[in-house]
Amino acid sequence: MKKIILFVLSVCILSTLDVIGQCNAEELSNQCIPKLAAGFNFLKSYKIEKGGKEFVEYSYVFTKGTQYMINICAAAQPTDGIVVSLFDSNRNKVATSKVNGQFIQAIAYPCNTTGIYYIQYTFDGSTNYCGGSALGFKR
Amino acid sequence: MFMRIVTIGLVSTLTLGVGLALLTTSCGEKKKGGDAMSGILDQDSSKNTGPAMSDEVIGDILQSIPQPLEISVALKESGKKYNSGYLNSPDNTSKYNSNYKRAVNLGVYGTDLGYTNIYEQNQDGVKYMASIKELADGLNIGQFFDIETIGRLATNSKNLDSLLLITTQNFNSINAYLQKQSRSNLSVLFLTGGWLEALHITCEVSATNPENKELREIIGEQKIILENIILLLSFYKDTDPNMASLLTDMEGLKAAYDKVKITYTYKESTFEVVDGVMVIKDNSTSTIDITAEDIANIKTLTTGIRNKIIS
Repeated sequence: MKKIILFVLSVCILSTLDVIGQCNAEELSNQCIPKLAAGFNFLKSYKIEKGGKEFVEYSYVFTKGTQYMINICAAAQPTDGIVVSLFDSNRNKVATSKVNGQFIQAIAYPCNTTGIYYIQYTFDGSTNYCGGSALGFKR
Repeated sequence: MFMRIVTIGLVSTLTLGVGLALLTTSCGEKKKGGDAMSGILDQDSSKNTGPAMSDEVIGDILQSIPQPLEISVALKESGKKYNSGYLNSPDNTSKYNSNYKRAVNLGVYGTDLGYTNIYEQNQDGVKYMASIKELADGLNIGQFFDIETIGRLATNSKNLDSLLLITTQNFNSINAYLQKQSRSNLSVLFLTGGWLEALHITCEVSATNPENKELREIIGEQKIILENIILLLSFYKDTDPNMASLLTDMEGLKAAYDKVKITYTYKESTFEVVDGVMVIKDNSTSTIDITAEDIANIKTLTTGIRNKIIS
């Protein structure tokens, strides 16, 4: 009987820990929207959750003459090791949010060249591997 | 300084990227049933008999297409005046009795709503919101529009940011919902209608300012988007006659766009951190070669396709 009770308790505790450890990337991406700088119109929110790959990637067509902002929100400040990098259509890296060991929470990109851009999120010393991000624009 | 010049020809890099995605994901392709005959029977886009590509890949392409709102903002920022005559009448909803028509015109009205919002034409905006709600109800996605809140926000121009935010979120939620429900065909139609309406408005404005370089470039750079819309529609050409017909029309438009040349010059970017934000200086450039004749052809073809959609 003791073994059964112990087993049930263990299952309950492990389930609770699992719930605590769950990633609510949607909530974090929603938190990012109002954190876009003044004047930027919201376009997209992105969930950052580590899956099978080492990175999470989205794409978006950026337009010449438009300034874009991408920010990062994570449970641990400032970005919990989440780094956003921007690549152009030929996979040239045009921006990254980690510089001199510092994690920056937002990048602003005044676009000069219309085309597809790849927004890639990587994890550098992350503890939760979970976050959200928002993309905004202004002319 | 390292510099590279890449000319974007008939097939854009995006399309190449997507092509690679098609190759790499083909093993996991989800064929949701539907032989040729069932496709023919699906005359109304009401049921998704199954695209020739996984929902995940379709979702990725859909996600990358820019919002028509960006064009509306560009038009306003360039000093062009509001003109309701460019828009589809909000009274046309009774004409849209099929799910195909509802979905594609939901996109058209979405762009029209964004245009009225940007220009703070709240009276018109409320009419478009009502039409959108009606079409969305017909597609069983009306729950995403809180028309009372939107109507309240629209009564005060100080609420513009909130109004733009809530409408953008609503449309994003619809797309996410449709993809989860394996009804991405409606998202594709919705996106196509919205894009075509934005192109139509830009062509109309450009016709009144033919020397405006910025407007000509906006029209020219739509070549990149069009190639992806064609790719999305092509996934449904064997299962949905309406989408196959729309694809044929879009391919005609693409023939006009094939004469537009986009030249891309890469140069390494630089950056500085300002107030906690990394501000990038994009040193690359792109030029868009588009003639007055190209624009005239694109405008004529766009008007023709749009007339079919909104009638």
